[in-house]
Amino acid sequence: MLEMLPHWLTDWLGPDGMASLAYITNGKHLSWYASVRYTLIAAGFGAILAVFFGLLGAAAKLSKFAPLRWIGDIYTTMVRGIPDVLFLLFFPLAFEQGVEYVMAQWYCKPEELATATGWPLCSNAQWYLSTTEYMVLACFSLGIVYGAFAANVIYGALKAVPKGQLEAAHAFGFPSRDVFWRFQVRQMWVYALPGLSNVWLLLLKATSLLSLLQITDIVSWADRLGAPNYSPLAGLVHGDWRWKYYLVLFVFYILLTWLSEKFFAYLQARAGRGMARAN
Amino acid sequence: MSKKWLLAITLGTALVSGQAFAEDKLRVGTEGAYAPYNYVNDEGKLAGFEIDLGNEICKRTNMTCEFIQNKWDSIIPNLLAGNYDAIMAGMSITDERKKSITFSDEYKPVDPSLYLVKKGTQLDFDKLEGKSIGIQGATIQDGFAKEKWGAKNTLKSYEKADQSLADVMAGTVDVVLADGEFVRTAVAGSNGELEIVGPKEMIGGGIGIGMRPDDTKLHEKINTALAEIKKDGTLETLTKKYFTEQK
Repeated sequence: MLEMLPHWLTDWLGPDGMASLAYITNGKHLSWYASVRYTLIAAGFGAILAVFFGLLGAAAKLSKFAPLRWIGDIYTTMVRGIPDVLFLLFFPLAFEQGVEYVMAQWYCKPEELATATGWPLCSNAQWYLSTTEYMVLACFSLGIVYGAFAANVIYGALKAVPKGQLEAAHAFGFPSRDVFWRFQVRQMWVYALPGLSNVWLLLLKATSLLSLLQITDIVSWADRLGAPNYSPLAGLVHGDWRWKYYLVLFVFYILLTWLSEKFFAYLQARAGRGMARAN
Repeated sequence: MSKKWLLAITLGTALVSGQAFAEDKLRVGTEGAYAPYNYVNDEGKLAGFEIDLGNEICKRTNMTCEFIQNKWDSIIPNLLAGNYDAIMAGMSITDERKKSITFSDEYKPVDPSLYLVKKGTQLDFDKLEGKSIGIQGATIQDGFAKEKWGAKNTLKSYEKADQSLADVMAGTVDVVLADGEFVRTAVAGSNGELEIVGPKEMIGGGIGIGMRPDDTKLHEKINTALAEIKKDGTLETLTKKYFTEQK
């Protein structure tokens, strides 16, 4: 691949520069760059699910039906209080064992169930999680945790929509459902976006925890590549280079944050179209 | 249309499940962070002594090897879970491990564990006190160090062996106890910054392939292939290729 570079560039880089370039484009490093997909997928789907759970949570908190309101309140208080690291460890494990428990009732022989001492209850009731399953569970974990934050933001934003707007809609004869979706939800985005952008940035940072679920994401690759290597058979011999790789991750996350801010500024302008403004 | 679909799906499932149960594939779990036994090379592929040996075994048993990278601390649970069928990860044969898995005959004899320090560190192994000792968690060195040094010293457990190397270089731990060949490789490549000190510790048995206890067929197959590989000198050639000291 490097042979395709023009001569003036290879001359300018010199043998040392070319060696460095060859090193950072070797298979190991290419796998590292490719693993960015896990981070982006988890952030993207996590965010979509967070908005979904956020809307549900906010709707529950606003409900006229008391038990629904309690569920909404319990969801936002409880989940916001649990550290994301813990939840990311707890939820996939609990889900896996829950599924295995159900599988056990289905597939295990009664005598196996009676004598089972460990986990899983029998060898047939074993659900093996690969990276794909872990990714799905990670997206849901992120969605649930940050959905609780989003629910609070959206709840506040829904309340911030001027009452007069909704009363006017009612006066025009819109049914309550339409008043909620076409007036309250439509107008709440302006109030919710600054808060949601914060939630998004928190979620983005939480994607660095994917390696906890055996996913070889950018963080675990950085760990591996930076670890000292003393065996010439295994490639370039070098000492502890982890800080260099972590620094690259810092830059990567800051870059993502900067892009996100641009994107949210655009969304904010879009959501504010046609709205009355004080300035 | 629905009938055609049904047929396609039935055939598809039959094919897929047929492949899954075919015995021509051996899935081997390895750590990929323990040079020269197993590591990820610059191409990003798993390589090392055990990868070559595994492929040799597969060749002789008419199987194809697929190596699966797994963290050390969950490598036995995931074998039992059926994630792969064998472990080749520099794993010593011990009675403790034999309680949950079975081992093939050894493919590498006992190699005494060694102490590794930053060049110039003076340690008195007759009365070692107040030192921090780095070991990889759930290894034979882990259990040994706890028993021998645990009372008067601090043990620092690492998830991966190379993290302990980074820390001994940085001075965060005083000494690391690890597998002999792993230590020798580190010293040889450290440009004189690391050295071996103290006694050689004879811990654990030789290194073997871990398998599920009920997998007796595979056990037999692998042992037969291993015996052949030992007899015709292939194992010696491989050992010479990867290890600095042969025993």
